[in-house]
Amino acid sequence: MSESPVFLPVRRLAELVRARTISPVALAETFLDRLERLGPTYNCVVTITRERAMTEARRAEHEIAGGRYRGPLHGIPYGAKDLLATAGGIPTTWGAAPLREQRFAFDATVIRKLEEAGAVLCAKLAMVELAGGMGYRQPHASFTGPGINPWNPDAWSGGSSSGSGSAVAAGLVPFAIGSETWGSILSPAGYCGIAGLRPSYGRVSRHGAMALCWTLDKLGPLGLTAEDCGLVLEAIAGEDPADPSTSERPWRFDAADVTGRRFRFGVMKGVTAGCDDAVVAAFARSLETLRGIGSVEEVELPDLPWEAITRTILHVEAASAFEDFIAAGTLAELTAPEDHWSVYARDAILAKDYVKALRLRGVMAREADRLLSRFDALVGPGHATVAPGLEQEFRSAIRGSAPDLMGAIGNGAGLPAICVPNGFGDRGLPTSLQFMGRVYEENSVLAAARAWQSLTSWHLRHPGSSAAATG
Amino acid sequence: MSAAPGSDVADEVEPLFALVRERYGDRLTAAQLDEVRKGVEGVVLAARALRAVRLETSDEPFPPFIPHRGPS
Repeated sequence: MSESPVFLPVRRLAELVRARTISPVALAETFLDRLERLGPTYNCVVTITRERAMTEARRAEHEIAGGRYRGPLHGIPYGAKDLLATAGGIPTTWGAAPLREQRFAFDATVIRKLEEAGAVLCAKLAMVELAGGMGYRQPHASFTGPGINPWNPDAWSGGSSSGSGSAVAAGLVPFAIGSETWGSILSPAGYCGIAGLRPSYGRVSRHGAMALCWTLDKLGPLGLTAEDCGLVLEAIAGEDPADPSTSERPWRFDAADVTGRRFRFGVMKGVTAGCDDAVVAAFARSLETLRGIGSVEEVELPDLPWEAITRTILHVEAASAFEDFIAAGTLAELTAPEDHWSVYARDAILAKDYVKALRLRGVMAREADRLLSRFDALVGPGHATVAPGLEQEFRSAIRGSAPDLMGAIGNGAGLPAICVPNGFGDRGLPTSLQFMGRVYEENSVLAAARAWQSLTSWHLRHPGSSAAATG
Repeated sequence: MSAAPGSDVADEVEPLFALVRERYGDRLTAAQLDEVRKGVEGVVLAARALRAVRLETSDEPFPPFIPHRGPS
C-alpha cells in the first residue's frame, strides 16, 4: 500500500484492514517498531507487549482472511495506560517505582473487551505514579521519567495518562486507553493536541484498573479524532458484573453524518477565568465557529463551592484507597518528592465535612442535569494553559491552585466530556476545546466534537508537520 | 499563603496539624512539615466553604445508600 498508516484515524485504518489493503501483522509491526524507536524519546512506554501483539495480529489476519470481520477495531494496534491489569506476565506498574514488578493473572475488563473486538495490544503506556493521587506538582512524577510532549520536547505531555497522550500524538499507536479521576484524560489530550473522551461514570467497567477514587474513576479512549473515540468507546462500554458501578444502559456510537445539524451550546459564565491569553483567544475564535452550527448561550450555576466538593471527595477516597501503602511508608519510594508527604494533610479532613461534600454532590448532580438538559453540550477551554515546561510547577484544581469549574462538576457529577484541539499557543503547543454533556449522553458531545472537526483542521496537524503551528 | 497566627483559620489548623504531625512527623523534615501545614490550611479552607452552604436534612449523601441482597 502507498498510504502510510501512521497518523491515519482508526476509521480509515479499519477500511484498509477490512479491504485487506494492509494486514494486521504489518500494521502491528509498523507501530511496534515506532514504539521501540520513538517511545523513549517521549518517555511514553513502560512495556512493549510484542509477543502478545503479534499473536493477536496473526489471529486477526487469519480471521479476516477467513471472512470473520469483527468490526472497526479488528487488527488495529493500541496502547493501554499502565494501570490496567494484563495477564501473561506483563507488568502493571501503576507508574510507581515500588510496583515495577507488580503482575496480575487476569486482563482488565477493558483489555478483554478490546481483545474481543480484535484490537491488538502493543504497549503498556506510561503514567504519573498512582495516577497522580498523592498530590504531585510537577512532571517528574513517574519512574519512567516525565511525559514528553511531541509538539515541544521541553514541555510536559500532561497527566496522569501521560503516555496515552504522547503516544497517540506522536503516531506510536492509533489509539490508547486512559483513565480520569479529575483531568487525567482531558489534560494529556488537550496538551498533546488530540481527542480524549471521558465517558460518563459507570459507562466503562473499571474491573482490573487501579482504584484511586471509587466514585470518580473513569476509563476512556484517546485518539486522533472524536470519531475514533466513539468507535473505541462502543467496544469498551457496557455493564460488567465485576464492576457494580457500571450502568445497565447499553450504548452504541451514533456515527450518523452531522452535516447540517444544529446544536445548542452553553458557556458557563467565567469559564475562561484564570486562562492564558492564547487559550482565551482560541476559545473566542472557537465560539465564533460554533455559532455557525448552533446557538451559544451564557449560563450560570448557583454560587456553590464546586471545586471544594469534588476535591474533598477525591482526597478522602485516594487516602483510603492507598491507606496501607501510606501506612507502610512506601510513599518514600515514589519519584516525585512531594508525593512522599502531600497526602498526609488529608488526615485532617473531618468526617462530617466529607459527608457534607457527599450531600452537596447531590446538589451538584441535580443542578448540572437541570442545566445540561437544555443543551447538547457546555463548551469551554480544554485546559487553562498550554502544556507547562518540564521543570515547571503547574497549577492544579485538585490542589486548589487553579480554577477548573467544568472539571469539578464534570467529574463530581460523572458527566461525559471530550477534548479536541482548537489552535496553538505559546511555544508551539496546542490549545483545546471541551464539550461536556448530560450524563450518559456521550453521543451528544461526540456529535458536537465531530461537527467541530468537520469545520476545522487542527486535528489533521501532527508534530513535525511544517504547517502544524499555522492557520 | 499561610493563615496568620492567632487568626480564626489558624485556630482550627493548629490542632489538625498537630494530629498529622503526631502520626507522620517522624518521617518528615522541617521543610516538609511546613508544606504539610499548608496542606492542612487548604483542607480547613475547603471545609469552611462546604460548611457555609445550608442544606435541608433531607439532602442525603449522594449517591444514596443501597442495601445489598445476595442471589439466594
